[in-house]
Amino acid sequence: MSGSIQVRGLSRTFHTTVRRPGLAGALKSLIKPDRVAKEAVVDVSFDVAPGELLALLGPNGAGKSTTIKMLTGILTPTAGEARVAGVVPYEERERNARNIGAVFGQRTQLWWDLPVRESFAILRDIYEVPNAEHRARLGEFDDLLELSSFWDTRVRHLSLGQRVRCDLAAALLHDPQVVFLDEPTIGMDVVVKEQVREFLRHQVEERGRTVLLTTHDMTEVERLAERVVLINHGRLVLDGTLDEIRRKFGSTWQVRATLADPHARVEPLEGISLLRREGPQVVFGPDGPTAPTVHQALKQVIERYEVTDIAIDEADLEDVMRTAYVQAEAASSAQAEVPSGAPAGGD
Amino acid sequence: MAAVHAWRAARVTPLGELHSPPRMTAELLRMTVQVVLVASLWRGLYAASGTTAGLDRDQAVTYAVLATLALRVRNLDQFAGRDTVIQHMHFGTIVYWYLRPLAPQRYYALRALGEQLYGLVWALAGYAVCLAAGVVQPPKSAAVAGVFVLSALLGQWVMYYVMLVIDQLCFWTLRNGAAMLILIFAQNLLSGVYAPLWFFPDWFITMSGFLPFQATLSVPLSLYVGRIPLSDAGAQLLVQAAWVVALALFTRLLWRRAARRVISQGG
Ligand SMILES: Nc1ncnc2c1ncn2[C@@H]1O[C@H](COP(=O)(O)OP(=O)(O)O)[C@@H](O)[C@H]1O
Ligand SMILES: [Mg+2]
Repeated sequence: MSGSIQVRGLSRTFHTTVRRPGLAGALKSLIKPDRVAKEAVVDVSFDVAPGELLALLGPNGAGKSTTIKMLTGILTPTAGEARVAGVVPYEERERNARNIGAVFGQRTQLWWDLPVRESFAILRDIYEVPNAEHRARLGEFDDLLELSSFWDTRVRHLSLGQRVRCDLAAALLHDPQVVFLDEPTIGMDVVVKEQVREFLRHQVEERGRTVLLTTHDMTEVERLAERVVLINHGRLVLDGTLDEIRRKFGSTWQVRATLADPHARVEPLEGISLLRREGPQVVFGPDGPTAPTVHQALKQVIERYEVTDIAIDEADLEDVMRTAYVQAEAASSAQAEVPSGAPAGGD
Repeated sequence: MAAVHAWRAARVTPLGELHSPPRMTAELLRMTVQVVLVASLWRGLYAASGTTAGLDRDQAVTYAVLATLALRVRNLDQFAGRDTVIQHMHFGTIVYWYLRPLAPQRYYALRALGEQLYGLVWALAGYAVCLAAGVVQPPKSAAVAGVFVLSALLGQWVMYYVMLVIDQLCFWTLRNGAAMLILIFAQNLLSGVYAPLWFFPDWFITMSGFLPFQATLSVPLSLYVGRIPLSDAGAQLLVQAAWVVALALFTRLLWRRAARRVISQGG
């Protein structure tokens, strides 16, 4: 069946008790606990087509993991609905489990005390994968991830990069149509990251798996995802292709200048914003619809500041996303201010 | 059914142990020292008096040594494999238990079965050595041996559930260390490991009758040494079976609640 993901108005509110400080506070909390509601995910809707890789992006605490947990079935939403390969995950967890594979970065599902290959064998049994198929798939994964050099090692002795590669293999051993990866490459070195990217690309393009990935690594997004969904404070901010995002959040160019005076005051110019500053190095980008062309901007910067070096290039995705986050932040705080500014009572 | 195909999960503990020879050496050493200490302690105690609490020296030594051996069945370093509920809750890896087409309770049961069978091999090896060395006495008759085996199996079954309840506590509190210590102590005391139960005052014996711990070790070992006559065995086996049923129902309830908790918190 098709490995599509449909998310409609998905919401999740957590209720937690806050602890009051001090002994008296602790006693008070015991008698009358202070319950606070935290809206981790609010009315999120999106679709992922079969065989598509979608990057779910957002700053820390945006609600990415919460969304993935609902889609894997280990968390029930407070409102809305989700379907993964035709199954409502939190209603039919075991059925959903056969269709999906999941890696929660930093959390391993491998058996700590056993050689990796034993873990693979246990999972093969749990998912009832025929022996020949299991061997063939392990061979395929080994070709891409070079597992055989360490798969006889006990998990406790693996490096992070080795372990995550094994975890990826473990999550895909039962040939799931849909794969959820929550920050899988966090903390890994560049070489391993590239290997993992290659592996994921292969899984999407050759095996037709649907992948939902969260990451903070924009290089990864750029190389892997055609489409991204951006959430912030639990709300969907944007759903589009990388090109759309680049267009929407301006930065189609950057001007990088090295200032002669590293302590000089730097302010945004007309239609030009300051993206970053590291000592004498400053990076400018376009600001809003009235932004000048990159050459006009270059001229303006040179006229305004004394620079020892200057270069132009297209903004990297990192900056685009930063702009997107900042704008989303501004939009949501503007929204939040409306009720307090509005006159109370009448409507 | 997935649980049948997943029998390999039962190999986790034995394999983990076989891959760490130092752990096995330590286990052997610990067992030897404990058996030697327990045996000489009870011999020493009996050197002064003859029969105490209706038990002669050889019976008492047999009881104490068998208790020591039996405890090895489920007393390995549970934390070494990072596959305990408390560790999964701590590391957040409990989510994987709920992400597989194998119910967590089935997985847990398979793991525990493997662990107990592995421990049984140790206990049996120790028993064979002790028997050959004359430290423990053989059972009085084939009937006693048969009833003992039956009772010991039921006892292990009860033990499994007791351990399970302790593990299940971790779904609600991340710190079950204290509960674990108290329960392990209570289990050791009440199941007659530190001293056979008949040495305790009556009120204590009555009280412990309401807890499952007698059913784990005290009953099978009492049957073995003849402190409980064969004529009473039926009733005792029934009590053990009742504990199995009661704890099975109780832990089932807890599993359901644990699942609800995980699903409402997201692991
Ligand atoms: N079990 C929980 N109980 C209470 N709050 C939670 C729980 N899980 C997540 N949250 C809160 O929900 C928000 C979203 O968290 P998460 O989905 O983990 O964000 P992300 O993965 O995008 O960094 C955070 O503010 C987090 O503190
Ligand atoms: Mg997260």
